[in-house]
Amino acid sequence: MTGEATERSTGEHASPPIHLRPARDADVAAVVPLLLRLKRLNEEFDPLLKVREDAEAQAREVLRAQIADPRSVVLVAEGAGAEHDKVVGFVRANVRERPFYAPESEGVIVDIYLLPLYRRRGAGEYLLHEVSAALKAKGAAIVTAEFPAQNEIAVRFYAKRGFRPVTSIHARPL
Amino acid sequence: MAESAPAPSPPARDPRRRASRSAEAAAGRRREDQTEQLGQRAVELSRYYAGKIETVPKVPVRSLHDFSLWYTPGVAAVSKAIHAEPDLAFELTGRWNTVAIVTDGSRVLGLGDIGPRAALPVMEGKALLFKFLGGVDAVPIPIGVASPDAFLSTVEAIAPAFGGINLEDIASPKCFDILERLAKRLEIPVWHDDQLGTAAATVAGLLNALRTTGREMREARTVLLGAGAANLATARLLLALGHDPHRLSLVDHRGILDAERDDVDELSIRHPWKYRLALQTNGGGRTGDLARAVDGADVVIAASTPVPGTLRPEHVRAMAPRPIVFALANPVPEIWPDLAKAAGAAVVATGRSDFENQVNNSLVFPAVFRGVLDARARSVPDEIVLAAARELARGAELKGVGPHHILPTMEEAEVFPSVAAAVADAAVAAGVARRRRSHDEFLERARTLMARPARLVRALGRSHLTAPMPRGPVGRRRSA
Repeated sequence: MTGEATERSTGEHASPPIHLRPARDADVAAVVPLLLRLKRLNEEFDPLLKVREDAEAQAREVLRAQIADPRSVVLVAEGAGAEHDKVVGFVRANVRERPFYAPESEGVIVDIYLLPLYRRRGAGEYLLHEVSAALKAKGAAIVTAEFPAQNEIAVRFYAKRGFRPVTSIHARPL
Repeated sequence: MAESAPAPSPPARDPRRRASRSAEAAAGRRREDQTEQLGQRAVELSRYYAGKIETVPKVPVRSLHDFSLWYTPGVAAVSKAIHAEPDLAFELTGRWNTVAIVTDGSRVLGLGDIGPRAALPVMEGKALLFKFLGGVDAVPIPIGVASPDAFLSTVEAIAPAFGGINLEDIASPKCFDILERLAKRLEIPVWHDDQLGTAAATVAGLLNALRTTGREMREARTVLLGAGAANLATARLLLALGHDPHRLSLVDHRGILDAERDDVDELSIRHPWKYRLALQTNGGGRTGDLARAVDGADVVIAASTPVPGTLRPEHVRAMAPRPIVFALANPVPEIWPDLAKAAGAAVVATGRSDFENQVNNSLVFPAVFRGVLDARARSVPDEIVLAAARELARGAELKGVGPHHILPTMEEAEVFPSVAAAVADAAVAAGVARRRRSHDEFLERARTLMARPARLVRALGRSHLTAPMPRGPVGRRRSA
């Protein structure tokens, strides 16, 4: 559903309508609104994912810290052609140690977001491929993804690309 | 159906706006009074006649012996025949001409979620229209269930009795989901009049409005104000007719619907039909309110919640020269026709019968059902809806197409059998017809079947089987 082709494309060729590069400090202002869109989408799936009032300030902090952190990967997606300098998506991931399991290093995709018009011609696939490569370069031997359990679009997206559920996080209010 | 309030008289000259405002207010009050009087009368008459429809035998009954043919034992052979060949139900029973009018009562007229019981008078009225205009036997079936799934399985369960399903007064967006899923599951046409009937009438009117103002669909820039059932279906039909998606914009209470509007992700989950249009339309990514959307537009089609003044003269003035304005909210259009005209509109249409150019789904649904039933269609794909719209537009030519006549009126009855025949032809062409006939045969059949109910009603009246319409107040229950 979300990955549907649209007629408002920027070109005829079949390559993804985006290109990727590592995020810089200067990208934070452009990435924050996208990160908030993703969090607000997550809020649709579960009331325990209610977006905080100060989420915008938090997003700025977290992004700055992760861009500086060698154990994190933040990539930005930019458009093609006339939209070459427009930030249209991003992915945020961390390398985590697994003290009890092998392999011991895991790359966790925390956020992945593309504006709806750019979700086509393999853009999501491309984003996933690039972030996986970056995590591998930082020593991760497996890649995992976190998203709301009710997000069936995400379930399908990852399942199609060889992901399977390994651990579950269940919650209740206290 | 018809409201007979007079059109507000056009303001003479400046100070035009003030004069027109007070005239508008007075006309508005008159209309409210009139609507209230009509309502009171409708309640009285509903009590007097105790409902609007009844079932009537269509076979002779010479004596009770005939029931050995119409009922047991003879009828068993008819059942066996259908059991052996299910499609024979369309030959041997009234299924070929019977539709169910189903609703959950979740969005009845402008009244909102009043539930299935209170929806019944509206469904009875619709059944009357089906019969009177289309010669179709329609059964009102309000359904008291809570979930779309339960609604779906109920309709699926009753489908064997019917040749078609008419969904009525179901809230958006669940109406889209229900229509899509039912159409997939059932082997008979499923129609949601609030989407398809209104959209087909709108498109028919627009085809002629474009022609009469010398425009091409391909080049028109169109704004759809309101993103409910009707306008989303209209958008889909316009795109199917070759309207440039980049030059089409939808506007809802949050402003222009755009692929980057911040509720688009939510729409992808809650309302995929609107989401798809958000991605397809509004090329160039205009953002903002209605004023931004209409700037330079050729056409505005307003089908929103009826709040007068939603569309203002300055909006019309900001459009391209000689624009087309459809203000379809009922009972109060988004802008009164005289105001739209004074602001430069070349063609104005409303949903009301007391103004010229009434966009009325009664122009469409009786003929569509006549057509799909006569072809015993399995479904109503969009090409059938478009065939109906095109033929309806052509039908207006009989009396000459112009700014004051872009659609036939309900009185131009000769148009409707032609629409029915065009629908039946389209069903054959689309490969969904169980029965193929020539155009002339479909036309002849539609003429006969659509003319019969008026004769029937007259005959029942002449023979005093229906009581004459009482003059003056009727307080007491009919004793008959």
